Amino acid sequence: MNATIIEKILSSASKKKVSAGDRVWADVDLIAMRDFGGPNVIQEFKNNFGEKKVFDPEKVVFTFDLHIPPRTEKVAKNQKACREFAEEQRTRLFDINHGIGQHVLFEHGLVKPQDVIIGTDSHMNLLGALQSFSTGVGTTDIVAALATGKLWFRVPRTIKIEIDGKLKKGVYAKDIILHILKNLGTSGLIYKAVEFYGSTVDDLNLAGRITLTSMVTEMSGKIGFITPNNEIVSFVNERSGQKNEFVSADKNAEYEDVLNFEVDDLEPMVACPHSPDNVRSVREVEGTKIGQVFIGSCTNGRFDDLFEAAKILKGNKSKARLIIVPATMEVAKEAIEKGLYKIFIDAGAVVSNPSCALCTIGHPGVLAPYDVLLSTSNRNYLGKIGKDAEIYLCSPATAAASAINGEITDPRG
Amino acid sequence: MRLRGKVWKFGDDIDTDQIYPGKYLPLTDKEEMAEHAMEGIPDYENFSKMIKKGDIIVGGKNFGCGSSREHAPISIEYAGIDLIIAKSFARIFYRNCVNIGFPILEAEEEDIDNIDDSDELEIDLEKGEIRNLTKMKTFKGKALSGLEMEIMNAGGLLDYLKGSSKY
Repeated sequence: MNATIIEKILSSASKKKVSAGDRVWADVDLIAMRDFGGPNVIQEFKNNFGEKKVFDPEKVVFTFDLHIPPRTEKVAKNQKACREFAEEQRTRLFDINHGIGQHVLFEHGLVKPQDVIIGTDSHMNLLGALQSFSTGVGTTDIVAALATGKLWFRVPRTIKIEIDGKLKKGVYAKDIILHILKNLGTSGLIYKAVEFYGSTVDDLNLAGRITLTSMVTEMSGKIGFITPNNEIVSFVNERSGQKNEFVSADKNAEYEDVLNFEVDDLEPMVACPHSPDNVRSVREVEGTKIGQVFIGSCTNGRFDDLFEAAKILKGNKSKARLIIVPATMEVAKEAIEKGLYKIFIDAGAVVSNPSCALCTIGHPGVLAPYDVLLSTSNRNYLGKIGKDAEIYLCSPATAAASAINGEITDPRG
Repeated sequence: MRLRGKVWKFGDDIDTDQIYPGKYLPLTDKEEMAEHAMEGIPDYENFSKMIKKGDIIVGGKNFGCGSSREHAPISIEYAGIDLIIAKSFARIFYRNCVNIGFPILEAEEEDIDNIDDSDELEIDLEKGEIRNLTKMKTFKGKALSGLEMEIMNAGGLLDYLKGSSKY
């Protein structure tokens, strides 16, 4: 036996033994649409299939997370169309009061290991942290899968990434993945799957694992898997209400490459404008003036992310405009119960309702030309949050320390 | 299928926010999407008005990286571009093109580097053959194969499914 994790999952989903390079038709376990993409899907589904019922309403879900609550009539109309379709088709819908889709899905037990999940979000693949093969797709893929319950995939080759060493205080999963991006570049994992291993990865909590797997997208990778530790196994079992079977790659699995990263001496890192692989150490760009800071997103919006920021913000005032957005309402509740909101508000932060927030231009907090944003999100493309504005990417700790000084600052002091 | 058109040349990592800025995500009408094709690239804000029907985009590595928005290839197709040739495509953009039956072709880096803005190209999609009529050079790209070519030839995934036993 020489199968990688993705080969095993796609073999099982297509009911035949497949390996890298094969094209397969796989059964889809869950289809997730957002307020973005969802309306386009509904229009195409109706154009092509009329009043046809979706293949299995239990396996179809809407998660509103982009423009919530709606700010324009067009967005309100889009969301209304999703609600009406969900009702007609009897599918689940998580409305404006839930938060970021992938996070809502696993919090509600809808994500299980080995599941094939597709969604209108390029960061669906963060669910590889729970060992689901989850991937972002476009409108047509979703329409086809709604009608048939199946979708075509190219079985990707896999790159094994070993990360070893003990992270220094003030250094986090975000710094690791930015360091990897610096080495591999934005097209470094094109058409590839990743399996992350090593002592550093074993020790990461769920938030850190999500940070790693979400940013596989920024290297154009298809999915990143992390072998679950006990914490993850119990979390997934508890949330899904069942005992789940996790898979491992075979001993002789064929990898396209094996890459090793030692992170004992890793420093806090930052991606500079306008590409996520334009990465330098925080030390190199320390002192760069910033006007606004965003802490949140599907990459760094878990409770543990907010907690690291709160430790630094406690008792301090932010010089920069600071916007903090928990990934989900569950995260928000925990942050309120544990006193984080008071720390944030006392520090001068605006705390918004759970959503994708400043990962897109549709959310309040848009930048004026030449504004500088320091963000815990995953992309810093030119024009993403406002024409001619500059975006730097970093960990929640670096974001918090920098907010206080109004300039990029090493969180280690 | 044979295509012929004038080249609009772009570099590496042309991302989906450059191809189709996020502020237009709420749009659902394809003709409206077309007005914003490549609008996020400095100096190309009016791209949809600058091009002629049948023109060709030539890109570098990782063309279409970023978001899963199918608006990106749709806006390019509806603006009037007939084909994108690139050194490589980001994977969601790649499958979105196949799924809507919009022709794409990968070619070797040095061959792409030898194509200049405004060159006239003629392409045989099945063979993956690219003739640069301006420079009088012919080279091979990597034509789609197998399932992707079948889907493309059917006109896209939904037409493919309607004509097969899978639906």
